[in-house]
Amino acid sequence: MIQIKDLRFYYPKSKIILDNITLDFVPGNIYGLFGKNGEGKSTLMKIMTGLLFPKAGYYRVLGKDISGRNVKCLQEIFMVPEDFELPGLKISTYEQVNSPFYPGFSRDQFYKLIEEFKLSADENISTLSFGNKKKVLIAFGIATNTKLLLMDEPTNGLDIPSKSQFRKIMALAVDEGKCIIISTHQVRDLHSLINHIVILDQSKVVFDQPLSNISEHLWFGKPMRDERESIIYSETSFGGKAMLFRQDRDETEVDLELLFNAVLSESNKINNALNTFHDEAI
Amino acid sequence: MKQFNISRIGNFIYRDIILLKGAIITTLSVVSAIFFIVFLFSLRGDHQITSGEFMSVFGKFYVALGVLFIFSVFKEAHNQKSNHFYFSLPVSSYERIAAAWLSTFVVYTLVFSILGFLIGQIAIILGSIFSKTNFHLLPIFSESYWHTVKVYFVIQPVFLYGAIAFNKNRVGKTLLVVVLFVIGLIVLNMMLFGILNYNYDVFSGEGLASEAFDKTGQDFSAIGKGFFMGIFAPLMLLASYFKIVEKEV
Repeated sequence: MIQIKDLRFYYPKSKIILDNITLDFVPGNIYGLFGKNGEGKSTLMKIMTGLLFPKAGYYRVLGKDISGRNVKCLQEIFMVPEDFELPGLKISTYEQVNSPFYPGFSRDQFYKLIEEFKLSADENISTLSFGNKKKVLIAFGIATNTKLLLMDEPTNGLDIPSKSQFRKIMALAVDEGKCIIISTHQVRDLHSLINHIVILDQSKVVFDQPLSNISEHLWFGKPMRDERESIIYSETSFGGKAMLFRQDRDETEVDLELLFNAVLSESNKINNALNTFHDEAI
Repeated sequence: MKQFNISRIGNFIYRDIILLKGAIITTLSVVSAIFFIVFLFSLRGDHQITSGEFMSVFGKFYVALGVLFIFSVFKEAHNQKSNHFYFSLPVSSYERIAAAWLSTFVVYTLVFSILGFLIGQIAIILGSIFSKTNFHLLPIFSESYWHTVKVYFVIQPVFLYGAIAFNKNRVGKTLLVVVLFVIGLIVLNMMLFGILNYNYDVFSGEGLASEAFDKTGQDFSAIGKGFFMGIFAPLMLLASYFKIVEKEV
């Protein structure tokens, strides 16, 4: 669905934000895009949406170059940005003026989601809180039924019940034809949702693995005394959690926070190990 | 297809108008009130509104508000918090320019002219009921009206380009560029005059010079008009298209 090869980007008079990025996003997956502040997650999403143009590299969405903002391409992409401003219209008016541009838009789905988020179609967007505005935008984004849905920090501003509601809605939204990419710092909000992890660090992709591969080969938890030698990464805080090669241990839930920290400090070691397992399996 | 679709242009114009609905209603209400008061005053004395009286007030507001409308249409494209939606909306750059031109020239001229006519006509009707005014149709389609529309037709793409190109102080920067352009033209004109006429002993201030100017004006004014109407305005629209194509958030 999206092929990115050797992509490079920098803002004028600024350091390189994205360097030599090679990624392949395929339909049927929910990707988690992680990275520290300023590592280029939002920039990468803007490039994928055709809002920024890469300085070098190959980039195709549905086989087309998005940098020309091709209508056919844009009809299959929707982005929920982190920070945004919506016009002071009624929710129903907002839907009426924007939905005709998306051929796959489902009004029924939109109003059902609005209802699920405990909002009313007659409410004026300008009177809503930021969290509720985000719900309107998420509902609209899902209802566009675009093949590619990009979300930048979608759970920012959502209250606790809304976060679990968001997970439920997103899990229902994904199908074989869709690709969802979520960029976030709030890894705990999404641990049950994503099935592929991409981590950016120092302008590069340092980790790109399906969750199934990670849980198959890595083990997360508190190690026994005699297991200390096989620890890949550990943290003294939070009661001494550690990441180990799974080997014959029982499968554990992937601790995204621990994995993220581990990748930032031991990316080569983890990648080599996972790739070796992967190659052996093939 | 697919990069130029009439119904998408219609939807985009509708979207722009709905987004600016509040500002449009307020502005038109204020303008209607001003028009009404001025037209009532125009009815004093000769008990009619002449085309000159109509254009003296209509012309001033028509061009000024048109320019402001152009900048309003592109406000979303320059707002850091809303430009994502503007540029990621499935509308091609051709369609964006076509929609902006249609809404800020064709639709705007129609709506503003009809509004001016209706307010003037209401003033005439009220004048005929409450004073000695004879009922008459407001003569809006005068030579002066078409001249003003032509002027707006030429300057509209210039401001359209400025509205897209500049991120901040867009009106001021565009006006500055226009003023510098005009000064440049005047300087070029003076230089050409000096170079071309010096050898023939034609100097400004002399009778021969003014006669030469008049003749040149008659011979070349059509070419000048043709240049501005037929080449300059479409060229500026083309420049606006390329500007929007390369625009990033």
